[in-house]
Amino acid sequence: MADLVLDIKDLVVHYETEDADVHAVNGISFQLGKKTTLGLVGETGAGKTTTALSILNLVPNPPGKIKSGSIVLDGVDVLKLSQEELEKVRGNDVAMIFQDPMTALNPVMTVGEQIAESVELHEKVSKQEAMERAKEMLRLVGIAENRAYDYPHQFSGGMKQRVVIAIALACNPKLLIADEPTTALDVTIQAQVLELMKNLIREYDMSMILITHDLGVVAEICDDVAVVYAGRIVEIGTADDIFNHTHHPYTEGLFDSLPNLKERGEELQPIKGLMPDPSNLPPGCSFAPRCPYATDACSKKVPELRPVGGTSSSKHMVACDAYDDPKFCLRRNKDGK
Amino acid sequence: MIKYIVKRLLQLIPVIIVTSFLIYWAMNLTSGDPALLIAGDKATPEMLEQIREEMGLNDPFLVRYGRYMLGMIQGDMGESYITGKDVFQTFMETLPNTLMLGGAAVLIAVIIALPLGIYTAIHQSTWKDNVGMVFALFGTAMPNFWLGLMLILLFSLKLGWFPSGGKAGFSSVVLPAVTVGYGLAALIMRTTRSSMLDVIRQDYMTTARAKGCSERQVIFRHGLKNALIPIITAIGMQISMIMTGSVLAETVFSWPGIGRLVNDSIARRDNEMVTGAIIMCSICMCLINLVVDLVYAFFDPRIKAQYAKKG
Repeated sequence: MADLVLDIKDLVVHYETEDADVHAVNGISFQLGKKTTLGLVGETGAGKTTTALSILNLVPNPPGKIKSGSIVLDGVDVLKLSQEELEKVRGNDVAMIFQDPMTALNPVMTVGEQIAESVELHEKVSKQEAMERAKEMLRLVGIAENRAYDYPHQFSGGMKQRVVIAIALACNPKLLIADEPTTALDVTIQAQVLELMKNLIREYDMSMILITHDLGVVAEICDDVAVVYAGRIVEIGTADDIFNHTHHPYTEGLFDSLPNLKERGEELQPIKGLMPDPSNLPPGCSFAPRCPYATDACSKKVPELRPVGGTSSSKHMVACDAYDDPKFCLRRNKDGK
Repeated sequence: MIKYIVKRLLQLIPVIIVTSFLIYWAMNLTSGDPALLIAGDKATPEMLEQIREEMGLNDPFLVRYGRYMLGMIQGDMGESYITGKDVFQTFMETLPNTLMLGGAAVLIAVIIALPLGIYTAIHQSTWKDNVGMVFALFGTAMPNFWLGLMLILLFSLKLGWFPSGGKAGFSSVVLPAVTVGYGLAALIMRTTRSSMLDVIRQDYMTTARAKGCSERQVIFRHGLKNALIPIITAIGMQISMIMTGSVLAETVFSWPGIGRLVNDSIARRDNEMVTGAIIMCSICMCLINLVVDLVYAFFDPRIKAQYAKKG
């Protein structure tokens, strides 16, 4: 496919410490088309951030190690690039927005300098031109130009996240990776920041990977969704597939644990148990120990992603061997869906 | 900012009053009879009484202290009973020597410690880090008078490159500065290393990398400036220690500095000199602290903002 921005195949990332070998990412593959937004959904520790950092080849090493796989960004495998080539890609082709805007900005540099730095690194411009660009970016994210000379501690959380976004977009990247960009913000600010991001990606024709555990955010902006559990994708498809034709028991569990405005007062149904320790994953399907549908067979073989077919789009795949039985159906889908 | 400086300078006044009172009181308790010192062993009781009367030694303690403070305001800290020299003037004549030794020592320390601290932090838990830490361990563990003696043995007696003591030109400052500087370097290096290790794990370092900064830019542009505050604190403390504390090195190298001045004066029971020198040292320490605090503001805009608020 020619219009792919990103093609990840069989990515495996481990964190090797003295005590344990943490299997953070265990064979994740997905593709991302131009101008598409993919939501990477999962619990804390599922390997979402590690996957994202791998795309920039920024997994902290040691202890992190990309064991195998390929990450083809616009036709180039980033895992095979030299350090200098990587530096050219980072910030220029791929930019990243981090989870916590409070700590993502350098406290001793003005925000203008921090945005301008990105421009200076990738484009042949003078300091003044870079600063002008920085101011332009600030305006774009809704901050007054004259605040370019202020330091991060003089901004609120939401404003800081806007600055982080401005840094990320300064060089007009093809791919934007947003790692839980709204988690650290309060709800009203979340909506503003999401709206801003949505508009900017549309305006700049960017692709985006949005990492989140908030299904509401996914519904708001994502075209495609990949549900990640214990370092593997368990279900992937368009937003419509995932939300309206849920196929994986884990995805179902995620939806059940959301509060429902229509049936207020009803008790939430959390997924039982905890995510398995990534340094000691169970054999077979890693969700089996918590899965209400699990059979003995589930803990024997790691399920492969299989196309769902039926009413879903061609993209919809699920990693659950229960579907070996053609009659198998999630409780959620039983009543008429 | 200027308001803040003025405020800090005004705060010096109570500090000086309290320290000088404590020092004057302590010296008053420990000292023998100055009259006896001046008149010598053969003095008759009448002569002693006369001297005491003339010098106001019979007045109550607080009156004597008040008189001393009045003198100090006018820059008069009395005269040494032993040498007859003006205390303030003697101190001011000795101060440049100490500053020279201290300055050279700190310079040597910073030149060695800063790069080494950063280097060991980047290579944490590797053999490079271990070698650096052993170097630092030697620096902290080795008594600096012993290092001084060893340096004299090698570089003055065997090789004859530098003089073994005294103050005569540039070459005479090298050995004492290395002696004092090595100890300082060890401490500054350890502070740099731990401060840098803290900073390296911060999110903004990842932001910088994700922007496309090279590792060098990440460390120096984004890391070092953030790591500097504890390092400056350590250097500042070292400078105040040198002001008063390089007695051993000054003695080994017979360097005419303040440490030796105080040491010799104590040995001679030259109370006026000791009191005056210690009060001056405490004022110098306060001033150094102020300078350190101002340097903080230069490197960290958050601290600057605080000063402006407090000012």
